[in-house]
Amino acid sequence: MTVKVRFFARFRELLGTDILAEPGSGTAIVSLVRDIAQEKKEGYDAIFDDHGNFREFVIVMRNGKRVETADAGKTVIADGDEIAVFPPVAGG
Amino acid sequence: MFSDRELERYKRQILLFGEEGQERLKEAHIFIAGAGGLGSPIALYLAVAGIGTITIVDMDTVDQSNLNRQILHTDRDVGKKKTVSALEKLREYNPDITINAIDTTIGPENVSNLVGRADGIVDAMDNYPVRYLLNRTALKKKIPFFHGAIRGFYGQATTILPGESPCLECIFPNAPPKEVFPVVGVTPGVIGTVQATEVIKYLTKRGRLLSGRLFTWDGLTSAAEEIAIVRNPACPACGTGTTKEKR
Repeated sequence: MTVKVRFFARFRELLGTDILAEPGSGTAIVSLVRDIAQEKKEGYDAIFDDHGNFREFVIVMRNGKRVETADAGKTVIADGDEIAVFPPVAGG
Repeated sequence: MFSDRELERYKRQILLFGEEGQERLKEAHIFIAGAGGLGSPIALYLAVAGIGTITIVDMDTVDQSNLNRQILHTDRDVGKKKTVSALEKLREYNPDITINAIDTTIGPENVSNLVGRADGIVDAMDNYPVRYLLNRTALKKKIPFFHGAIRGFYGQATTILPGESPCLECIFPNAPPKEVFPVVGVTPGVIGTVQATEVIKYLTKRGRLLSGRLFTWDGLTSAAEEIAIVRNPACPACGTGTTKEKR
């Protein structure tokens, strides 16, 4: 199974984007993103808290549809999914 | 009705949307929240486009460290109120329009009066608490909210149409932590002009607005992308969720 993870804004600066991954079946969104983000500590820390949960302001979308970050541990990815992860950009 | 001078000034854009479109701009009142990085290009371009009334609000003083991006202000303005500096420049750019420059902090107690009967609110803020306030004010008054935000080489924009598109709280229910954000002036240049374009499109009824779409700009790769966004039926601001004010 192949899925694509797209990071935006600061997350992209830290981790790159359009990352193709081949997770095993039954993998939850949060585990997929954690595995990718673990490549770079600063990127991981920007997205996840000390317990490995998405930080409260992080936006996660699956195929253009919002996934509540609280549910990202239960939401299992499917082949061809596109997962977008981004922070609210705040400057003006 | 336009003076000969106005007809000459707006000649090239009357070619685009006719005198009728130009009239719509002239009759419009646009509220710009902030006279900083985003507020500068937004105000300049809306002024020269001939928006009849522009209200611009800021509480800050021009600082040397603003000058890499806040192009309404110049070196000799350092120490001046941003509203004073903005008023001078905008009047110089277009003496045929009305500018209200208000030196105050936007807060829950004054936001509704400040916006008054404006036809739209443009977001040129640097923080989410005030953005949430402006978003809710736009929803209450049923006027569009033109959102923009930037950081570094990266920016985003969307247009919120009350009752039709997702609102700011649908998209970003939680504010990110505060930071002194890095930025190079070209980024608010790109996003501010996208926001000003949206205002002009909305007023002249041209094209397809960014409602339901989050426009993103990555200056480092020169890539513009969009993220489809949908309304959250349980949104506390525009849906059925609890109505506690975001602070």
